[in-house]
Amino acid sequence: MSTARKLNSPSLYHAFERLNGDHPLKKVSGVHVEYQARRRKGGKVRFFNFELAKEMGLIDEKHSNELNAELEKKILETFSLVIINEWDIENNIKFPQNEILPQTFMATRYLQLQHPDKLGRTSGDGRTIWNGTVEHKGTTWDISSCGTGGTRLSPACNINKQFYQTGDPTISYGCGYAEVAEGMETLIFSEVLHQNQYRTERLLTIIEFEKGISINVRAYPNLLRPSHFFAPLKQGKYQTLKELADYHITREIKNKRWPFKKTEYPAERYYQLAEQVVLDFSSMVARFEDEYIFCWLDWDGDNILMDGGIIDYGSIRQFGLFHSEYRFDDVERFSTTILEQKQKAKYIAQCFVQMADFLASGKKKSLQKFKDHRLMKLFDKNFEHHKNLNLLKKIGFDEEAQKYLVANHIKKVENFRKVFSYFERAKSKKGLYKVADGITQDAIFCMRDILREFPQIYMARRSLLEPKDFLEVIRSSYAKKSDLKITPIRVKQIKKFQEQYLDLVSTAAKRMKESEETLLMEIIMRSSVINKYDRVTGNSISFVVDKITNTRPKLTPEETFIIAQNFKYYQTLDPDKVVNLSIVNSRQKNLLTRLTGIVRENRESL
Amino acid sequence: MKLVLYSGGDEKDNYHLDLEFIRLLDKKNPVVTFFPSSSYLSEVEFRQFVRHYSQFGIKRFIHFPVDVDFDKILLEEVLKSDAIHLGGGNTFYFLKHLRKAKLLGALKKFALRGGVLTGLSAGAIMMTQDIFMASYPEFDRDEKSVHIKDLRSIGLVNFQFFPHYRNTPRYEKSFIKLSKTDPRMIVASPDGSGLVIEEDKTKFVGKNYIFFQGKKLILNQ
Repeated sequence: MSTARKLNSPSLYHAFERLNGDHPLKKVSGVHVEYQARRRKGGKVRFFNFELAKEMGLIDEKHSNELNAELEKKILETFSLVIINEWDIENNIKFPQNEILPQTFMATRYLQLQHPDKLGRTSGDGRTIWNGTVEHKGTTWDISSCGTGGTRLSPACNINKQFYQTGDPTISYGCGYAEVAEGMETLIFSEVLHQNQYRTERLLTIIEFEKGISINVRAYPNLLRPSHFFAPLKQGKYQTLKELADYHITREIKNKRWPFKKTEYPAERYYQLAEQVVLDFSSMVARFEDEYIFCWLDWDGDNILMDGGIIDYGSIRQFGLFHSEYRFDDVERFSTTILEQKQKAKYIAQCFVQMADFLASGKKKSLQKFKDHRLMKLFDKNFEHHKNLNLLKKIGFDEEAQKYLVANHIKKVENFRKVFSYFERAKSKKGLYKVADGITQDAIFCMRDILREFPQIYMARRSLLEPKDFLEVIRSSYAKKSDLKITPIRVKQIKKFQEQYLDLVSTAAKRMKESEETLLMEIIMRSSVINKYDRVTGNSISFVVDKITNTRPKLTPEETFIIAQNFKYYQTLDPDKVVNLSIVNSRQKNLLTRLTGIVRENRESL
Repeated sequence: MKLVLYSGGDEKDNYHLDLEFIRLLDKKNPVVTFFPSSSYLSEVEFRQFVRHYSQFGIKRFIHFPVDVDFDKILLEEVLKSDAIHLGGGNTFYFLKHLRKAKLLGALKKFALRGGVLTGLSAGAIMMTQDIFMASYPEFDRDEKSVHIKDLRSIGLVNFQFFPHYRNTPRYEKSFIKLSKTDPRMIVASPDGSGLVIEEDKTKFVGKNYIFFQGKKLILNQ
């Protein structure tokens, strides 16, 4: 047998068998509901993430990126499931015994603000079950499947006070199904963000059924969200909260995610957990703000993972410009804006300080009491620190220069941040207006364009840009003539921007014993990657997914994998990352060309 | 007019052509602009380009993809630079976007004004009258990835240029056949070879092949 054949042979797919519903979280009391499940027929593998499967040890590292019959069968056996829910039981629906799996699968409980009960007693995974865990190279991964049937934890069940049959067409989200388009959107967006060092859920596979229905399987080293903790915290359930916190701490230490400090005092562990949340959430929200990631953070902590990782791409966007007034209209209420995310993230972190105190003292105190806790001060400090580093990174300074400037010339960095913000936050005179899914006020300047082009123009001219030239470079397509008036304040800010930028370059060059010209050239090269012209936005992701799903003949799972891989390479904004392009055929090449066109057209949008 | 037409190959292969390019530049601290044929991952190419030409003492570079919008301020600097290099890639795609951006005429003026214009593969074909060579011979042609009817390009030289030439009977037969019907001289250059045009003088670098009126001529430098 050839090596390739051996690597693709069925015996090597045994790792999938661990995904049988067993999960250590089941041992924590009161955080889940268990369901029997049965095999769901008629599914086909629409996409399989070979790269992720290798990282997780589900397939061998040398496995070809091809879906052979045995592998497809294994994927379907493992993930093509539907739960036997309360409606099935109430209606005494009988299923053939040989289709029912021996183990149960859990849907987890967590706080969700769209539920009438604001304490998390009825909410959680409304259409998801957890398949289990796999361990590989020191990391334990959680795997869950979305679209496996409606659970009792869905908003529909609790708002309408009744159970629903899985697939009931009279309700949408509550019917328990997911869609291929949702899965594709998660796939494309999460792979791009993962490639750019964001913590994010990733998509392992999409199983497609008729009418665009699917099961979308997600994976991450720890799929717990703050909202998992907030349910028992709001309810004051000490024992459940303690077990959950202990479970989480154990997993994080095992996955070597934490620099956990040994302590004689068991309660100290909970403060360490809170501190970790503070550090993760403050740096995460600073990055979201600086890279224009819109993530609807709210007090329930439902749309984010415990380490600040992204989960649930339904409410994630990446803006092309700093559209900081955009709010999503969710019928009953408007979402937070990008700038309000910080306060929400801080609130989430504050809840973990409250939780640590509760677990340490056994007494739950008011959340307000922790407003001025030292960890909240740490949140602000770390947020500011990351804002400074992020800006230097965006300019194109390498890590060494970033750290040096922040440690030794903080005033210069902060001053430049002020003038940078002046332009970044400038809005159109048009004011607030309605868009398809919310309201917004356009940003008029494209900071990525000025960061990419200013050093090149300066390098060639060796003189500062005149105000009108500066505005010509920095203006976005949203800027109207009236937005671009050259006022005395603006002239002053334009001069400041350039002088302070060049002062930072000069300061770093001295430290690195390089000429300013050499460092500026290095910055030009790095900035051309970091601030590339065509960066994906939320809108472009939607159009890209439309294009991929409507391509005919339909893309095979392997082709979808190749397209997703190449798309993420194209969207790599890390100048230190080596991009290895996959080989594509002319059909795939044409599709990729079209996708880049979509990204360009939408590069400044929401 | 100062032109350098590179066929292809790696940095080592093109050492002698690079020396010619540097000689033509003949300026202290020049500005060199890189035009990739497509912006798709062109930042990586730009970096390689900068790293390579930094070895020759060049310190100032501009990255200028033409298939995305650009502002006139950067374009002004580009057209003021001392040299422009047209990168390799899909010739049809490159021409479509150079035309769309109204840069064919600007590049011609740049070269006629004395700026050094260099091109590699697709970029070199772009200096000829049209990009017919990108579609010939049938067994070695660029994919027509974009719809384009007008194949006229910058038009700085009167001959046709074929990059990546392999001296095999198949290629030879094809070019002899073409040269019988096309009155223009065909310069076919293997990787590492090319030519330098300085005003009215043409210098061949490396081994080049000329096809004209059904005959093949080998030029060894």
